[in-house]
Amino acid sequence: MTTTALVHVVVSGLATGSIYALMAISLVIIYNATRTLNFAQGEMLMISTFVGWSAHEALRLPLPLVLLIAVAAAAALGWLVERLVIRHAIAATHLDVLIITLGLSLVLRAAAGLVWTHDEFPFPSFFRERPIGLGPLRVAPVSLGIIGGSLALMLALAALFRWTRLGRAMRAVAQNQRAARLMGISVERVYSASWVLAAVVGAIAGVLIAPVIFLSSKMGLVAINGFTAAVLGGFGSMPGAVVGGMLLGVLENLAPLWLPAGIKHSVPFLLMIAILVIRPSGVLGRVRQRKV
Amino acid sequence: MSATLALEGVAVSYGKRRALDGVSLSVERGEIVTLLGANGSGKSTALRAISGLVRPARGRIVYEGRDITQAPADAIVAAGITHVPEGREIFPEFTVLENLLVGGHTAARRDVAARVEGAFELFPVLRARRAQLAGTLSGGEQQMLAIGRALMARPRLLLLDEPSLGLAPMLAAEIFRTIRRINEGGVAVLLVEQNARRALRLAARGYVLETGRVAVAGASAALAADPRVRSAYLGLASAAGR
Repeated sequence: MTTTALVHVVVSGLATGSIYALMAISLVIIYNATRTLNFAQGEMLMISTFVGWSAHEALRLPLPLVLLIAVAAAAALGWLVERLVIRHAIAATHLDVLIITLGLSLVLRAAAGLVWTHDEFPFPSFFRERPIGLGPLRVAPVSLGIIGGSLALMLALAALFRWTRLGRAMRAVAQNQRAARLMGISVERVYSASWVLAAVVGAIAGVLIAPVIFLSSKMGLVAINGFTAAVLGGFGSMPGAVVGGMLLGVLENLAPLWLPAGIKHSVPFLLMIAILVIRPSGVLGRVRQRKV
Repeated sequence: MSATLALEGVAVSYGKRRALDGVSLSVERGEIVTLLGANGSGKSTALRAISGLVRPARGRIVYEGRDITQAPADAIVAAGITHVPEGREIFPEFTVLENLLVGGHTAARRDVAARVEGAFELFPVLRARRAQLAGTLSGGEQQMLAIGRALMARPRLLLLDEPSLGLAPMLAAEIFRTIRRINEGGVAVLLVEQNARRALRLAARGYVLETGRVAVAGASAALAADPRVRSAYLGLASAAGR
């Protein structure tokens, strides 16, 4: 195995990992605010990417506008799902809400099939196909683009959580909902904002990854690896989601080099089982002490 | 005199258990009022009803002439009432400064820096610990942070639930001195406190709750002299002086 080939594998692993990280972040955003796992996260990504694509097909819009439309569609979808479905289940158990989001994912996938069929479509990319040379190394622009775009989004999110009133309110709600209410924070508004923000992150991930994996009603399955990434990093931790995503992406790409080629798609599950056995709180997770 | 806060026949139930059973009380402008009573008598529930954490089944809560009985908790903070809950409930994963900033959630952005400065002046130890995670503070420091955080919304009525609980006597005395200072700044205080003697020294008036009802009410001096209060809450068997 030459160094250049290894670099290539690692870089494309980091690109896939960036997408997993974004999916993990979007799951964690909703989980931290509402303690709900959104199993429809991948399907929401898929629908918003399709909406952007339809705008592109119909109006031949430039790609930045397509991204904007996908983001707007995601924001609207996230807001609607929270207000029309999840908000009414506010008193239900976590398991009930989980089943609701699972049902929602099936409904969204079926709806996408009706509107756009279950075929695969090529999606325009921001980045050129031809590999670029960095000295002796050759890397695909699309990989660098995905990594760069994802990192920029992660930095923006970190700034949002650290410096803005909304971000601070979201972190307060994650720690103690009742105390957050006593600060004058509308917890309901934080729920809405979390669903919108998670959906928007998903849409950006969708537009970044669609040129690589093709646009289809099945593309939402990428969220499963986002879930694994979040568990890997320690569910609830944002830095953990990033580390978990990157780790998963790289290992998934490296594994076939030494292990049987078919192993690639089993890597997430093997990793998940391993982490749950060895370190259930995740790489960066802390064992939270819960008051009874 | 116009009441800052008035509860009129407020009843609250948790499931089948009735925690408050028709409580009426008032806090006048700029006054310190204390709520006394045994554990489970409904003191904390009364504060939670005022701050909108629990909904009364009956009765009315009026603040500065406005009916806030059904108002959501965030609107009540914005209206000028903040609640320092029992157990402090500071945000452990936030720094001291972030706790104060989140306390200013409803404040105008341009006022926040000055209010943080005000909290640091009231509790200088918080300035020294501003970058420290709040979860690592001592109990007394957490209580100071909880009060400082509640003042960030610039309340006109402060609800305090057991501010001296678990604190060493000297720290408790300091907290009580600070409550008086806050009150002298024009903030009315409704104080729930285990230490009845201290509470009655600080407050002008008091109410004694028993199983969700007001059993005795009156000026602090009168309550301190009331034989029932003396035996039940001041630990004095008879009229023997301190």
